[in-house]
Amino acid sequence: MRIPILKLYNCLLVSIQWELDDQTALQFQEDLLQKIHETSVSGVVIDLTSIDFIDSFIAKVLGDVIDMSNLMGAKVVITGIQPAVAITLIELGIGLNNVLTAIDLEKGLEKLQQELGE
Amino acid sequence: MNKLIFTFIEAHKIDILEEWIRTTKDENDDRVVRVVSDQVFNSTSREFADLIITNLKGDKGDYHTRLKEFAEKVVRLGWPLTFVSSGLHTFGVIVFKRMEQSGVMTIENQRSLFREFDEWMTSMNIEIIGIYATTWEKTVSLQKIALQELSAPLIPVFERITVMPLVGTIDTERAKQIMENLLKGAVKHRSEVVLIDITGVPVVDTMVAHHIIQAAEAVRLVGAKCMLCGIRPEIAQTIVSLGIDLTQFTTKNSLQKGIEAALEITNRKIVNMEGLK
Amino acid sequence: MSIQSCVTIINEWDIVAARQLGRNVAKELGFGTVDQARITTAISELARNIYLYAGKGQICIDKLFDGGKPGVKISAIDSGPGISDIRQVMEDGYSTSGGLGAGLPGVKRLMDQFEIESIPGDGTKIKATKWLR
Repeated sequence: MRIPILKLYNCLLVSIQWELDDQTALQFQEDLLQKIHETSVSGVVIDLTSIDFIDSFIAKVLGDVIDMSNLMGAKVVITGIQPAVAITLIELGIGLNNVLTAIDLEKGLEKLQQELGE
Repeated sequence: MNKLIFTFIEAHKIDILEEWIRTTKDENDDRVVRVVSDQVFNSTSREFADLIITNLKGDKGDYHTRLKEFAEKVVRLGWPLTFVSSGLHTFGVIVFKRMEQSGVMTIENQRSLFREFDEWMTSMNIEIIGIYATTWEKTVSLQKIALQELSAPLIPVFERITVMPLVGTIDTERAKQIMENLLKGAVKHRSEVVLIDITGVPVVDTMVAHHIIQAAEAVRLVGAKCMLCGIRPEIAQTIVSLGIDLTQFTTKNSLQKGIEAALEITNRKIVNMEGLK
Repeated sequence: MSIQSCVTIINEWDIVAARQLGRNVAKELGFGTVDQARITTAISELARNIYLYAGKGQICIDKLFDGGKPGVKISAIDSGPGISDIRQVMEDGYSTSGGLGAGLPGVKRLMDQFEIESIPGDGTKIKATKWLR
């Protein structure tokens, strides 16, 4: 199953709705970069509200995809990380430094516009 | 229970009680006597002696309820366990001495009397200590729950700004609790800025600092900004001399400064009303 | 007293199966959402290690009742190449697979108890336990 990627004005919108397995995560990485290339958007919002756990592999894929998107000129904001997920990530020692975050999709879009406006 | 001992105690109940109260008072290190009035001391002692005698009569059900009530009362009064257990011992000594003096105890029956008496005393002792310990454990667990409840409140002070004041010592378990409350609250209130106020934290060592840093990082992951307020001079000193790196975080010396900064981040400020008389 | 259920790890899908099993057990025992996430993440890390380094192994989940206190024990057992320097793999940031190197030290932090036993050439056994607070 592929994760749908939607385009909204100059942004891409991704909402991950189910538990990520390794293949889906890697497929998503490829799809997102391809879509950025096709649409030449300047921002991406990835919403993780429905994700209830992230291990170091998925964290790495996410971190990589963010770095890669940045290289391609698209800023990424991660939204809706659940408290439980944030705690386990920190305890694993994964800080996702340099990643922009927002509390929900709405705030994420706002933040992205702010970042792009500057 | 040996009929002989029982009859003897029953018959000399008043004398034994008098002597027992007197001795207990003399023996005790004033710790108990100082904090309670004579009246309370006397009545409680009498209750205790009555209790011993009830046990003697062999009414088990009644004895257990009363012993439990008594133990709870003594704990509430703050009397030390040593008072109760040495009181029991004194009681035994007095009864024995008197039995010897009055000739009830003879060389022939001495051994069997002693054995029975000892058995009775020991079982009562164990029971009292058991009830005492249970009562204490209950108190301690209640206090633990009470402490957990007050451990980490999250207060939404303005729209998008929440404050978590921390008071008291922070251990690992509490730190985890704090982190959970902090994050759940931040998400629930859709906070943009979360202020952690450590004015009430007496000591910030590497462990506490580590937990605070973790909490701040986790707050950033859920999409809010974390600010540390209430850093007193001695805490700033320890943080720097321990080599703890807090440079990634915004820190303020007071909650007031923190809230001002938080308002600024959320593009607001507090202004004086003009035109008021 | 303990009740055990196991998942054999051969391919990537088994990692998903193992962590779903762990999450269900944790939920059943009454763990909160944060602890559920901790347990699931720990299982995922251990299962992935088996998949990446040993190729094949087992993840077993035990429900523990120690003096009335419930807990979850994760056992990860494989007969892969083993680990020659345990201290090194327990260091943050050490990785031979290009990952984040957060796996084993991370699992130790997520759980209450952690034990690792490994004989090079013979395999690795890891046990990690979390107690209900």
